[in-house]
Amino acid sequence: MIRLWHVVLMAGLLGLLALFYQGLWGNPTYIPPVLIGAAAPNFAGPDLDTGEVLSLDRFKGKVVVVNFWASWCVECKLEHPSLLEINKRFGRDPNFVMLGVNYQDKIELARGYLQEHGNSFRHIQDPDGKISIDYGVYGVPETFVIDQKGMIRHKQIGPIIGAAYTNLVENIIQPLLRGESVSAS
Amino acid sequence: MTIFPSTALSRLFLAATLSALLALFSGAPAQTADPAPNPASLGEEVVQARVREVAKTLRCAVCQSESLWDSNATLAVQMREIIRERVVQGESPDEIRAYFVSRYGDFILLKPRNRLLWVGPFFLLFVGAVSLYIALRRWVARTARGGSEALPPLDERSRRRIEEELRVHEK
Repeated sequence: MIRLWHVVLMAGLLGLLALFYQGLWGNPTYIPPVLIGAAAPNFAGPDLDTGEVLSLDRFKGKVVVVNFWASWCVECKLEHPSLLEINKRFGRDPNFVMLGVNYQDKIELARGYLQEHGNSFRHIQDPDGKISIDYGVYGVPETFVIDQKGMIRHKQIGPIIGAAYTNLVENIIQPLLRGESVSAS
Repeated sequence: MTIFPSTALSRLFLAATLSALLALFSGAPAQTADPAPNPASLGEEVVQARVREVAKTLRCAVCQSESLWDSNATLAVQMREIIRERVVQGESPDEIRAYFVSRYGDFILLKPRNRLLWVGPFFLLFVGAVSLYIALRRWVARTARGGSEALPPLDERSRRRIEEELRVHEK
């Protein structure tokens, strides 16, 4: 005779098995972002080219795109044309700034990389990883979009290519520059 | 033919067993809230011990199943340096952990904060033991009753025959 508690027990066990099964798939190295919607931590560091200290503070009131990259990073090369394209499209807008943060890299290699692949915006050195860790970065490329109020509105893990590029431009940067709010993503 | 179901099944069992073992053998989180120390008085050994205490409980974000203390990945080295600076500045281990959680989320903690995850397995074990005990008692009671009551009473003919055969055997 099947009783209610038999059914409940079986349902519970199946539920547990389903959870275990689900845990077998997916990307184990993916870390869910926690900083979206939070105030962007301020940072300061030497400019990759000039050595002049640049800080985020300086760009208060603007939409800031912060891209973490490294010369050894293959996916960064993939997205580099997209970065240049975004800066070409929005760089003339006085309310838009694009910044690179050079992650776990050597200065000469980073400079060489920019010479080879082209460059149209400023980059900050992060030799001890403080900026990157303050932004919860665990790999490159990672890109953050900060709104005019200094809040992080978007984080892109992985290269800005294809759909990620369209999403970043059309659903994040353009609305933010128009002064519209975007749903955190 | 595909071998998918059997591999999936074995992976499933492996995962189930591993999580059960993990749940059983990881000790409860030992988190002690240190009183705010005077930074100037911290000797190198104390600093080192505190860094170790914190780094042991944080996950190396770019490794798998390795703590910040055990890993030599660049990110782990840099994170240890940050822990060290914060220790020297007089932050408590809990404050330092809270900083990393605010940047990387609960993921960065090697031990889950959810109490249910610690107590759950033992609770389920207890429930299982009680259920088994009750089920066994019922089962024993049922078979014991069945043993004497299920047999029909002995009729006169059978009784005589048994006695007859017993007598034959005894000779």
